[in-house]
Amino acid sequence: MSTEGKNWKCAKCDKQLVLKNTNFFYLGHKFTYDVYNCPQCGKVLIPRELAEGRMAELEEALEDK
Amino acid sequence: MKLEDATRYTAKCFNGEPASCSYACPFHLDIRSFLEKVSKGRWVPAYKVLRNAVNFPVLVSVLCDEPCRKHCQRTLLGDEALAMRDLEAACIKYAKNTKPELFAIPPKSERVAVIGAGVAGLACALNLAQKKYSVTVFEKESGWGGYLPNGENLSSHPRFADFDRDFALQFSAVDVEFRYGVEIKALEELAEFDAIYVATGKNGNSFGLLDSWDAELLTTSENKVFMGGTLCGVSKMEGIAQGIRASKIIEAFLQTGKASLMNVFVYDKKNCERYLKHDGAVSVPRVIVSSPEGYTEEEAKKEAARCLLCDCDYCIASCEMLQKFRKKPQKIAVEVATDMQVVGTLASRALTRQTYSCNICGHCKSVCPEDVDIGALLQFSRTARKNAGGESYPAAFHDFWLREMDFAVTEGFLAAAPQGKKTCEYAFFPGCQLGAFNPDYVLKSYEFLRSKYDCGILLNCCGAPAYWAGDESLLNENREKIWQAWNEMGQPTLVFACATCESIFNMFLPEIKRVSLYALLAEEEGLSPIRTYDEAVVFDPCNARNNHGLETGVRKLATKAGITLHELKEPNRCCGYGGHIRLANPSLYEEITQHRAEASDKPYIVYCVNCQDVFARRDKECSHILDLVFDLKKGLKVPTLEQKRANSLEVKKILMKKECGIDFEPETHEWDGLELLISDEIQKDMENKLISAADLKEAIWQAESSGYKFYNESEDLFMCSMIKPVITYWVQYRKTAPQTYEIVSAYCHRIHFKEEVKP
Repeated sequence: MSTEGKNWKCAKCDKQLVLKNTNFFYLGHKFTYDVYNCPQCGKVLIPRELAEGRMAELEEALEDK
Repeated sequence: MKLEDATRYTAKCFNGEPASCSYACPFHLDIRSFLEKVSKGRWVPAYKVLRNAVNFPVLVSVLCDEPCRKHCQRTLLGDEALAMRDLEAACIKYAKNTKPELFAIPPKSERVAVIGAGVAGLACALNLAQKKYSVTVFEKESGWGGYLPNGENLSSHPRFADFDRDFALQFSAVDVEFRYGVEIKALEELAEFDAIYVATGKNGNSFGLLDSWDAELLTTSENKVFMGGTLCGVSKMEGIAQGIRASKIIEAFLQTGKASLMNVFVYDKKNCERYLKHDGAVSVPRVIVSSPEGYTEEEAKKEAARCLLCDCDYCIASCEMLQKFRKKPQKIAVEVATDMQVVGTLASRALTRQTYSCNICGHCKSVCPEDVDIGALLQFSRTARKNAGGESYPAAFHDFWLREMDFAVTEGFLAAAPQGKKTCEYAFFPGCQLGAFNPDYVLKSYEFLRSKYDCGILLNCCGAPAYWAGDESLLNENREKIWQAWNEMGQPTLVFACATCESIFNMFLPEIKRVSLYALLAEEEGLSPIRTYDEAVVFDPCNARNNHGLETGVRKLATKAGITLHELKEPNRCCGYGGHIRLANPSLYEEITQHRAEASDKPYIVYCVNCQDVFARRDKECSHILDLVFDLKKGLKVPTLEQKRANSLEVKKILMKKECGIDFEPETHEWDGLELLISDEIQKDMENKLISAADLKEAIWQAESSGYKFYNESEDLFMCSMIKPVITYWVQYRKTAPQTYEIVSAYCHRIHFKEEVKP
């Protein structure tokens, strides 16, 4: 679960973002993770801390797998 | 992929194999291990190594004619070979415990007869008895030992008492029946035995089987009869070695019913000529034996310490990448093959990161005595992975450079003969990065070439990004494009300013005649290169290795400028750029670039613009040779990724106008007009992540025009994403004026997410 996106809202829909189980995939591997989405339009937000933290670690692990 | 497809690249590597001396030794004694132990005074372990290899160490230390010494690599340095027999004698003398080991193996029922109690027969009997076979030795004389090469009985040797004691010692831990004074006249007498080893000595009885003797398997035409030793024409030492070998072959025969080498490690004697380079090894004279009793302990240790412990690890010792992954070349080759067999999530690949972490710079090959090229092996791996596609190929490692290549071969492309002509004798091929770094590098060079030669221009990428990504089809596509343009220009000689381009052409377009810009500039009497430094080091790029014309030309120009030149200890090391490893292994890239920047405290003169880029980013004082030639070094900052593209287009625009009279209009995008305010810190971070401002403009434009963006009210910030096929980019920004945005953060990731956006 990523909570770093809670300060953001969707500018298009003017909605507060909600945590949603989201599908991720990379190099043939699939997994899910809770990240903030717009409840109306479905836009996904990936905060920098997540992209350069856990996601980068996972990228590295899957590239080596 | 077959295993051999990969292992052929490292077939000649002898890392971890016995040294040349061991291949020359009839017993294949691990001399390296023996001497290493002796040098530390570890007498008992050293004795065990010796005893286990030769069976009768006392006799061998006296009678061996030391073929190892002819292949001792000390002699390559002009030194005398290691004094093996003296060291063996010292080891036997100083080892406090020489008691033979007892093997806790249950006795076996098979019976073996050995005919002849010479050293060949004794060696075979001893080994088989250690394996608990029931062994009987038949000897027509009254005792063991056999004969000396001069035909006299071994017992006549002045040291026989010592040999005799040693034989007794070695046989003290086994049960062997010796029948002395029994001469076997016909093999039928031994019908009850399961195997027979005939070792009756020089001119001894071969029972009519000598002609059918197989020198490899030691077999004869009689199924269970084996033969060896001086009877078969080998020396006494080889006879002992053959006896040991016979014991292993006989054991295989008793186990399987068939003589085979399954228990024998097969040595290729040719390998005794396989030597290391020993550059920089120090000459050390032989330690003289000070007393008739042989070496003292200290003398022996000192003499043994002269052993160079020859085991080649030149490539590993000098390559950051090989050190980081700590794998031996042969293992890497095996993994290149096995990685391609990995299915789904059942198993892991072992080599992905390493495959894409190699600079493919040829350094390993240059230091290898056998020219093994691990870079070529990993390049092969990259190509195989690209061809296999899917999860074998991490596209993100090379996506940035492939996009840059795509730009260079489309928008950046220009092929033009000098104005008014369709063909030319020469064409300048500056490569895609030279003009991107500094347009004047291309424009001034071209001006010079144009004034001296019938020279046109060919702006394109050589294909290095596709090559390093292992993308054969893209490489071929580009090759054909160049081929066509070159033919349309009348097959001119291409003038290169980049050693990488030159090496790519050498590999994939060898038909095209090539010349280096720097060689042409060096020939020009009228040029007066400026003196940027009093003293400097020429940093030769990896791809200029063995390109002596290029290296000499650059030195000539720098010397002409009045610069005192110094040479690096290791020339042609890759600056770190090669192989495009930066995204696959950022920490290794940093380590390599740091090492290269610190290879000398003097400023560098470079002639590869990628080296220049690397060093300039590390704030290493350096000038491109073209800075000297055309007086261009005037506080030029390293251009940003966006500026590099703009520079390339500017070069094309100027040259297209000059040669074709056409005003080039680069492709425009709706986002080109956006202005981004980017702090130096963020810009540096973006450059490190290879995020171009142009990508951020596109992302912001898309978000602003579609409305799909996020808003952080407390910080008055917007955020948006741009999903490209390989990389997803994110940018946080503030609008400061119409069409103007302050960039607060930019980052990217490779993992994709599923987004079902509703309007």
